[in-house]
Amino acid sequence: MKYVVLAGAALATLAAALLVGPANLPLADLPGSAIVWQLRLPRAVLAFLVGGALGVAGTSLQALVRNPLADPFLLGLSGGAGLGAVAAIALHLPGPWALPLAAFVGAVGAMALVYRLGLMGGAELDPRILLLGGVAVGAFAAAITTALVSLAQATELRNAFLWLWGGFSGASWTTVLVMLAYAPLPLGVLVASARPLDLLALGEEPAQYLGADVRRLKRVVYLAASLLTAAAVAVAGVIGFVGLVVPHLCRLVWGRLHRTLLPTAFLTGGILLAAADTLARTVVAPRELPVGIVTALLGVPVFAFLLRRWTVS
Amino acid sequence: MRRWTVRTHLAGLVALAAVACARGEHAPAAGPAVTDDAGRRVALAVPARRIVSLLPSFTEILFAIGAGHRLVGRTAWCDYPPAALAVPSVGDGIPPNVEAVAARRPDLVVLYRSGQNATAAEQLERLGIRTVLLDLNRLEELAPAARRLGVLTGRTAAGDSLARAMDSLVSQSPQSPTPSPESLVFLVWDNPPIVIGAGSYLDRLAGLAGARNVFHDIAAPSAQVSIETIAARNPDFIAVLSDTAAPPRYAGRPEWRVVPAVRKRRFLFLPGGLFGRPGPRAREAVRELRRRLETTP
Amino acid sequence: MDRELIVALRGVTCRYPDAARDNLVSVSLELPAGELHAVLGPNGSGKTTLVRAALGLVPLVAGEAEILGRPAHTWSRRALARLVGVLPQREDNLFPQRVRETVLLGRYPHLSLFGGVGATDRAAVDGALAACDAADLADRWLWTLSGGEYQRVRLARALAQEPRLLVLDEPTASLDLRHEMELFELVRTLVDAQGLGVLMITHHVNLAARFADRVLLLSEGRPAGAGAPGGVLTRDTVERVFAWPVSIAPFEGRPQMTPLRLRKEAR
Repeated sequence: MKYVVLAGAALATLAAALLVGPANLPLADLPGSAIVWQLRLPRAVLAFLVGGALGVAGTSLQALVRNPLADPFLLGLSGGAGLGAVAAIALHLPGPWALPLAAFVGAVGAMALVYRLGLMGGAELDPRILLLGGVAVGAFAAAITTALVSLAQATELRNAFLWLWGGFSGASWTTVLVMLAYAPLPLGVLVASARPLDLLALGEEPAQYLGADVRRLKRVVYLAASLLTAAAVAVAGVIGFVGLVVPHLCRLVWGRLHRTLLPTAFLTGGILLAAADTLARTVVAPRELPVGIVTALLGVPVFAFLLRRWTVS
Repeated sequence: MRRWTVRTHLAGLVALAAVACARGEHAPAAGPAVTDDAGRRVALAVPARRIVSLLPSFTEILFAIGAGHRLVGRTAWCDYPPAALAVPSVGDGIPPNVEAVAARRPDLVVLYRSGQNATAAEQLERLGIRTVLLDLNRLEELAPAARRLGVLTGRTAAGDSLARAMDSLVSQSPQSPTPSPESLVFLVWDNPPIVIGAGSYLDRLAGLAGARNVFHDIAAPSAQVSIETIAARNPDFIAVLSDTAAPPRYAGRPEWRVVPAVRKRRFLFLPGGLFGRPGPRAREAVRELRRRLETTP
Repeated sequence: MDRELIVALRGVTCRYPDAARDNLVSVSLELPAGELHAVLGPNGSGKTTLVRAALGLVPLVAGEAEILGRPAHTWSRRALARLVGVLPQREDNLFPQRVRETVLLGRYPHLSLFGGVGATDRAAVDGALAACDAADLADRWLWTLSGGEYQRVRLARALAQEPRLLVLDEPTASLDLRHEMELFELVRTLVDAQGLGVLMITHHVNLAARFADRVLLLSEGRPAGAGAPGGVLTRDTVERVFAWPVSIAPFEGRPQMTPLRLRKEAR
């Protein structure tokens, strides 16, 4: 029953994203309209994919670092992406793909650095060091970004920050196809790790005794979740709160077993982000809000509500 | 005991008064004085002889009022009029290089009013160099700037004359609007799309040139919108600030081609020097915009 | 003894990566099915290390550790989990869960990657809960359980793995008298009725002496005695290992230790 509701909500959100927009198209014109096919549809699909990716990445990372407050961007990825984006603009890299590629490279670079830091305690990845390393790498990247900003021209970089705050205005079928080609592998890896992730919640040693290859699991989950997040940032900037709040919402309804949690987190994340994007497009029409701001504004009260439920139980 | 306190209080009062006098105006009432846009009273003993200008528009104004030969420093961006290139550069001015400016030994530094520049101005003042901070975001701010620079350089008449010309430009009704005025959008960034709204310099120029900014309804000088909104408003032209005529990088992307003007490649490439900021050549900018609107297919 | 050896440690010496000296030195242990062995010793004597070495989690400097005749480190985690059920000292509980769900985690080593939970698995869970006298707790939330109930649930999870060996690391550490006795009785029943092998680390010397078939006493990583409780738990040995004067007196044929107060004369 709950699944039916979820599927229904997904369809409804997609429909709303297609029907609503500043162009005020009459219903009859919709099927043939270039605005719908080239703008609204790829944008809605991309928002859904990115939201789903962030939901799954957030769920996996919370299980990996055994911290319910983990967000995919806690691991320094947003700092790396920001640095990449700003560098692309400051260096005037050519082509429309310069910005997303540079952000992706920056995020992956941050991921590699944090991974290396996480291995410092020994041959095994230590989740506590992952968190601390993520914060440190993020701060380091932010410092370099600030230095670049202060050395280069002001206005273009202000626009880079607007991009970084998250948005789907650049959505196109090409970006959708890139996501569709790229995302299934890390998503598949994470779904396959669903049962070991359940075990990991008991602690690393108990999980090993119940059959999980914890050493391999940690590396694989970290890499897959980070790669998903890096792609999300490259395509849509830094969109916070989705990866943090969606896992908790899903656990409330579906429990904590990852076989159910991961797919529902994907759908829920997609619904939330597509809805947030529709809001971002319409609330201050004709202007647009960056999506990252909408998710933060919505996410904070939701998170407060979740915290209350947590402390009550 | 009481005598001691009275004497201390008197001494304190005298000291305070002395400090107040020292911090007050050096200049006798005869020297040029204006109030700048940061609310500061700027008074010189004599009209400025060695001026550093930290904004291309101020450089243009100073040349236009006949004070150009008194410039001893300019920013690297100041390239008009050509005579300005002979003036030594003090860097790009963002933020101002206080040491380089001070090395020119100016008696007046003209800065655009911004947070960063306010700090630089304060540092220059501590070195004993007078500074004046002026706004120059909108067309309406040209006249007051010209007037005050005229006063400070002793070229009051020229400054007033330029100001009057700017005022008349501001107050003139748009050139005879054609039956269906052309529409345009000023697009300064593509991802996310940033357009220029009402109240800004470019928006005013469009109006004076008899064209309509499709985003004139947005009160802010610049705003983020979606491609769909631009497509829905269907401007005749896309105006971009560019010194070349190369099509922007987003012109080929399918999602942008939903906008008819992008599909038909109806771009207006407006040179940054003339259109980027209000300056004495505003009238020329309006004419140029009008010309391009009429001649671009 | 011709019963199959489940765990066999022979002259095992091992050291943790950053340790200054060996954590275990020349320790041997042979545990066949149907026996309860207790591992005793002061804090830091290497009891938990012994368990980890037996299960292939710590590399050996010398000696052999075998499970069912094969070296411990050659077993995959999954295969080992189908054989050995472990109750570690500590575990986390990050998110609220129900008892049945947590016991079901014990079936994971038996579940295939994309397969679901089948009737066999559910039967194993029910059976494990029944064996641990926890069937009535099945739908309770974990955080509402008392200490004793919680340990029984964890034991049920280990039993749901359908293991041949149970390894319990200080399972009665924070339990009161009744729950402690209940747990020891439960474990003894499992050994006698189902033929499980049990390796139990405990601080409770007296209960270990009464319930265990054999006892291994460790002191600073070295074996201080191994064998039947009566033979190992002599006054000299216990006083030396635990560094405290004690008196040993038999109860129901097993040695019981009573620590002496310092005021009294040593002898």
